[in-house]
This record gives sequence, C-alpha cells and structure tokens, in this order.
Amino acid sequence: MANPSAVCNGHLHHQKQNNLLKSGTSKKNGITKGIKKNGVSNGSLSKKAFIEHFEQAPMYVAVLTFVGFGVGTIFGYLRDFMRAWGLEKRNVATEREQQKDFVPLYQDFENFYTRNLYMRIRDNWNRPICSVPGPQFDLMERVTDDYNWTFRFTGRTIKNVINMGSYNYLGFAETDADALKTVAKELQKYGTGICSTRQEMGNLDKHVELEKLVARFLGVEDAMVFGMGFATNSMNIPALVGKGCLILSDELNHTSLVLGARLSGATIRIFKHNNIQSLESLLRDAIIYGQPRSRRAWRKIIILVEGIYSMEGSIVRLPEIVSLKRKYKAYLYLDEAHSIGAVGATGRGVVEYFGMNPDDVDVLMGTFTKSFGAAGGYIAGKKDLVDFLRTHSHSAVYATSMCPPVAEQIIRAMKCLMGLDGTTQGLQRVQKLGKNTRYFRRRLHEMGFIIYGNDDSPVVPLLLFMPGKIGAFARRMLEKNIGVVVVGFPATPITESRARFCVSAAHTREMLDTVLNALDELGDFLQLKYSRYSKSAHPELYEETRFELED
Amino acid sequence: SLQEKEELIEEWQPEPLVPPVSKDHPSLNYNIVSGPPAHKIIVNGKECINFASFNFLGLLDNEKVKNAAQASLKKYGVGTCGPRGFYGTFDVHLELEERLAKFMRTEEAIIYSYGFATIASAIPAYSKRGDIMFVDEAACFAIQKGLQASRSNIKLFKHNDMAYLERLLKEQETEDQKNPRKARVTRRFIVVEGLYMNTGDICPLPELIKLKYKYKVRIFLEESLSFGVLGEHGRGITEHFGVNIDDIDLISANMENSLASIGGFCCGRSFVIDHQ
Repeated sequence: MANPSAVCNGHLHHQKQNNLLKSGTSKKNGITKGIKKNGVSNGSLSKKAFIEHFEQAPMYVAVLTFVGFGVGTIFGYLRDFMRAWGLEKRNVATEREQQKDFVPLYQDFENFYTRNLYMRIRDNWNRPICSVPGPQFDLMERVTDDYNWTFRFTGRTIKNVINMGSYNYLGFAETDADALKTVAKELQKYGTGICSTRQEMGNLDKHVELEKLVARFLGVEDAMVFGMGFATNSMNIPALVGKGCLILSDELNHTSLVLGARLSGATIRIFKHNNIQSLESLLRDAIIYGQPRSRRAWRKIIILVEGIYSMEGSIVRLPEIVSLKRKYKAYLYLDEAHSIGAVGATGRGVVEYFGMNPDDVDVLMGTFTKSFGAAGGYIAGKKDLVDFLRTHSHSAVYATSMCPPVAEQIIRAMKCLMGLDGTTQGLQRVQKLGKNTRYFRRRLHEMGFIIYGNDDSPVVPLLLFMPGKIGAFARRMLEKNIGVVVVGFPATPITESRARFCVSAAHTREMLDTVLNALDELGDFLQLKYSRYSKSAHPELYEETRFELED
Repeated sequence: SLQEKEELIEEWQPEPLVPPVSKDHPSLNYNIVSGPPAHKIIVNGKECINFASFNFLGLLDNEKVKNAAQASLKKYGVGTCGPRGFYGTFDVHLELEERLAKFMRTEEAIIYSYGFATIASAIPAYSKRGDIMFVDEAACFAIQKGLQASRSNIKLFKHNDMAYLERLLKEQETEDQKNPRKARVTRRFIVVEGLYMNTGDICPLPELIKLKYKYKVRIFLEESLSFGVLGEHGRGITEHFGVNIDDIDLISANMENSLASIGGFCCGRSFVIDHQ
C-alpha cells in the first residue's frame, strides 16, 4: 500500500551513494527521510541511507483497474444468473440429499469473488512441485479441461524452472548429501516424530542444544523454540498480554500477529504503516487518556511490528521506534520472520542491520521456515521472559514440540552461518544474497517497473495493478520456464495486485539475468513499465554540458 | 494542557512485561529426554518405560518409516520454504491427501502442517459470528482456541450427557420459532471428540447422529486420539460404532499421536472440504 505521504511531484532526486549532502534530510517523492552521512560502517551507528520507494501509479492505471474489476463483477452476476436458471452447468460440489433441508453451510454471496473472479486464474496458485525448492525446481504439469474447475495431471514434469517464489533466502533448501549427513544421522537415531507435548516427554536434548544456539546467534540471554512459526505468534501473544492491555500494531501485520492479538483479549489500535508520527500520537493518547471507558491507566502497552513486511518489502524503522519505546515506556515485539538471516552484515536480522543492541527489543520472534530451510519458530529475549513462556505458553503445554531432524537442520544451518563449522560459507551466502538483491532491484528500476520497498530487502514486489495482467503475467513467465508468485485481492489492496519475487543466495548471476531479460520482454508486451522515473543506465552522459563545435 | 500531559507521561509506570516466575515452579525445568522417545526412554539420565508419549502404534521406531523419511530427505531436503499457495505443494502432499481420503473412505482430505492449528483453523472457517456451536465441556484446548477465534455463540453441555444436549437443542428450537428469518441463516454445529483428551472416554456417536437429523445440526468430529486406535482397521470412531461416515460433516484429526509425525488433516465430502 502506498505511503500516504508519497505525493508524486514532478522530479525525483536519485542521489547516488557517494554524493555529499549538505543538509541532514532530503526529500524524495515527498517523503522526508533522515539521510546519514556515508562512511565506513563500523557497527555502532547506521550510516547507510534508508531509501524506500512507494511510487504511486499514474491515474489512468487506477481507473483501468477499477474498470477491469467492474467488468469481472458484471460477468460474475451474469453467470450466476445463468447457473441459477440452469442455463449453464454447475461445477461446484453440492450438499447431500439427506441434508438438503439443513441450514445452508455457505452463503452464496460470500463465495462470489471466489467463484467468478478467482476461478478464472486459479491455475497460478497451488502449483505442485516434485523436487527440492531450491533455485530451480521441477513443476508438475497441470491442465484443465473445464476452465480451472478441475485439474488433471498429464504426468509430465517441467524441469528446471527458475524459482522466484520460495522463501529460500540463504539457499539452505538443498539436497547435497554432504551437507545433510548430520540430519540423516539424527533421523536414523531419533525417528521422525515426538508424540508428546513440550512439558511432558517432549523436551529432547536436541531442543536444549538448539535453544542455546539460537540465544548465542542473536546475542540475547535465552530463547525458546516452537514447532510452527504461525502458531508461535498466535499462542504466545495471548500469554504475554491480556485484558486491560493495549496492543499497537502496524497496518500491514501478518495474519498470525492479528490472530494472536485478537485471541489475547487486549484492546488493539492500528497505526499507519511505518509511520512514526501516527504511532507517537497513539502512544500519547493512550497514556494521557487511559482505557476507553474507565479511564484507568493501561496495564501494559505493546508495539507489534515486523522486520520485513512480506507483501511490501519494506523494513521497519527500528531506531525511531526504539527511541519512542524508551520515552513512553512501552514494550516492543519484533517479528523477524523474513528478515532473520536475510538482512544484516552477518545475517542476524534488522537489529544488526541498524547496528542496534538486541537488548533494546523486548521480544524477538522469528521463524526458521524462511532463511533456514526448516520449520518452526522461536522467541528470544531476557531470561525472565523465556522462563515465563516456558511455564505459561499455550504451545508448551498443549502442542507438540519440534521434531529432531528439523531441529538438527536448523542447528547445522545456524552453525554454518555463524562460522562454527570452520568454513566461511555462511558469511559468503549472506553477502551473495545482498549482492543479488541490490543487482536485481537496480536493474528493475532501470527498466522502469514500479517496485515497492527498501533497497536492501530481498522481497521484491513488482506492481501489476490490473486484474487481467495477473493471470497473463504468471502464465507467460511459466512458458519461459520461470516460476513467479502473483498476489491480488484480498491479500493486497484491491488496486495494487503485484508479483512478488524472492531473491535467494542460491541464484547465480546467469539465472537472475535470464529472469531480468524475460521481465524486460514481458514488460514491453504487457505494458507494465509504469514508472515515470526510470533511472538511466548511463548517467554520465548528463555531465556533458559543453561540447566542442566543429567549425 | 501541555504541561499536564507531559507530567502524565512521565508518571505512568507500566507493569513489568512478564511477572517473575519462582525458581521452583513445577513446569519450569523440563525433563530432558536423551535419545529417541520410543518405548524405553532415558529421562534425566535414568532409563524408564515410556507410558507418557502418545505413541499408540509404536511407529516412532519403525524401520520402514525411517527409510522412507531418509529417501525423501535425499530428494526434497528438509523444509518447504513456502506456503501451499506459492510452490509449497509437493507431489507427496497430494499423494498423502488421496491416500487419507481413500483410507477414511471419504471423498477428499486436506492436510495441515501443525496438529494444534488443524482444528483451531477448521472451526473458524465454517462458523462465524452469530452461528451457534454446541460443545462438550471437556473439549480440548485446541478446540477452545478455535471457538474463541470464530466468535460464535457457544453452548456447553455436560460431558457425554445426551439428555442435557437434547434439552439445549429443544430450547434453541423454541427460540428459532420466535424468529424464523434469523433462524434460517444461523448455522448450528455440534463439536465432539472421538476420544476425549481430558477425560479419556468415548462419545456416544449413534445418539448424536439421531439428534443431528432430528434438530438439523451439523457434526464436527475431532479424532486426534481415536484415529488409528478405535475401529477394526483404525479408521476411528465411525468404524468403531459402524456409522456411515458420510453422516459426519467434517472429521479432523492430528497425525501426531498414532502416526508419529507432525501435522493434521481434515476429511469429509468435497462440498465441505473445498471451502478450506
């Protein structure tokens, strides 16, 4: 969603990194950002420029998007009408004969969008693959005979499709037998499952080892791991806050955070995405006016933010939020699902990216699914916090713990990242990811697409806007042997459908070049290059102000 | 005024983030299990016979299972790196769903990655605010979380007490007659477990089916503990009582007990499962 303060004014100053800036702030697209002077980053203060782009589309694009949805809706009504009158076949499964007089399970209108609009382009999601989800994978070929109502597998596989969709940031989703030999050994020794909850017989020595390693990796006192990333949020937020507390959450937080906040029973207030003024005004109002009806003081205030937002690619403004938190005595809960392993000089997440102390954040949460190629989540912080969670978390009491081979995969990946296995492979992966990200984003900007998000985030959303282009884009990319992910309503606002690329450390330069060339062609064919501020690839030409006139 | 506001902000003291936990809280120090959690396990250094894990069929140690897992490790690696919608669906997922559906003799099945989340996500998918759910008192925690997330009206009935349930249903019917238009759109569900985790007894399924047709409520059956345990072939409580499986609208189970793995599944008719 576009930052509301990003008003497109006529010019854009794309300042390169080695320009010296006289003033402390600069205006880009109407967003005022504090740009710090460039210098050698020695870890204490962030000296990089924090550049984020949220360009708005030209007006005609928004109009055409609405027109597209309008046409789809009209056709939807027409077809529903025809189906109700039997003029067209009904392909949806129906209720049992004996239960026809029960109250209907679904309202017809709820599924209107699903039936009429989503069904048309349904073949772009849930694509089954049959190999490891690395930088390239094999897709199973699927055809449909009746316009996406049912699918049929032809039995052939499309080999070596370049994978721009899986969250494989550091490339740990691999089947290299050498790398996985510890995992195979653990599998042989421990078996596949646990069959018990954490507090009963489910706490293996592997878990203890893993928790110590996670705490060491992040630089905090203690950590606790859980079996599933999504469930980590939804089961621990209710343990930390209850009635009488206030939760301030970002507009674009993930469903797991929203679910956890709702289940806790606390009051929820939403602040605009990454907008510090909005957050500050909410904090002041909360402290001054107290709870809504009784005017008593709030018991606790917690701020829920994410490290990298998965649909936008933007990074949270951590230094400002931490200073706000200190001033108003609130608590900070940071969900680093996408950013752990992906940003930061050695892969330790946004805390390292900004050069801050991990003690500043009260609750550090993250998942192992994305950068580490395994499953599960963790919560880390001070020892008191983790002790409390061990006793009071819903997950520890009722849900099964992580299974041993998965824990071993995380241990191996983390040791590789920290360099404890004796190689520099971990650091190389992090640096390769950074290089790939910057190269990819720079080339896309030069080509003229609208990209959202921070220049350093490996999640790259490319805006498509119009509903018709969603299907066309995904299908044509598949024809060129590139697998992409497209998202539309309801995961994104209705006018901002996008294609989301996840750059990985396992992608080679050639793979990225293939993708970029394909994007170039497709962008021209589908008219996707909406950006009015394309960077030229050869800016040196502007320096020529004088030239010799031939007499 | 501004001065007062600043003073209020200075004075406000929040509670500590977490209340301190005493050092000898009973659940604080977990028992550390070294080695595989099979029938004989080593807890805190002592070897014991394991009566505490839900390893009903003993599949934790099975060689065939381990070999199959090793083969898939070589082929697929460890994680899926993505949700189902975005290249996270593997051919083995689809095969598992087909096999489960065939085994349970239903039309379709769908799998989840975490057992707790299975029932806690399945309930809110069907029952929204304003719908009515009749739930047994001894329902397990995951069901309670699902109910909380769905925000429907919940009516508890005493554990395994069919007369109480019938009374509640009759009350609901008289209410419906007062307001027929609303009654036509509120959905009604009964949520029961096959084998209750909290008390360990079985629910009386045939009587529930009779109540279902009499009062027009749908049944959601949670078979986490009874899958693989009850019934001649392990198909659960429907086989145990000889009830037609199509009578149950949705069966949800988690695979972490008898099947010695992680995850859960829901199965039923296509009409019900497609929605998920």
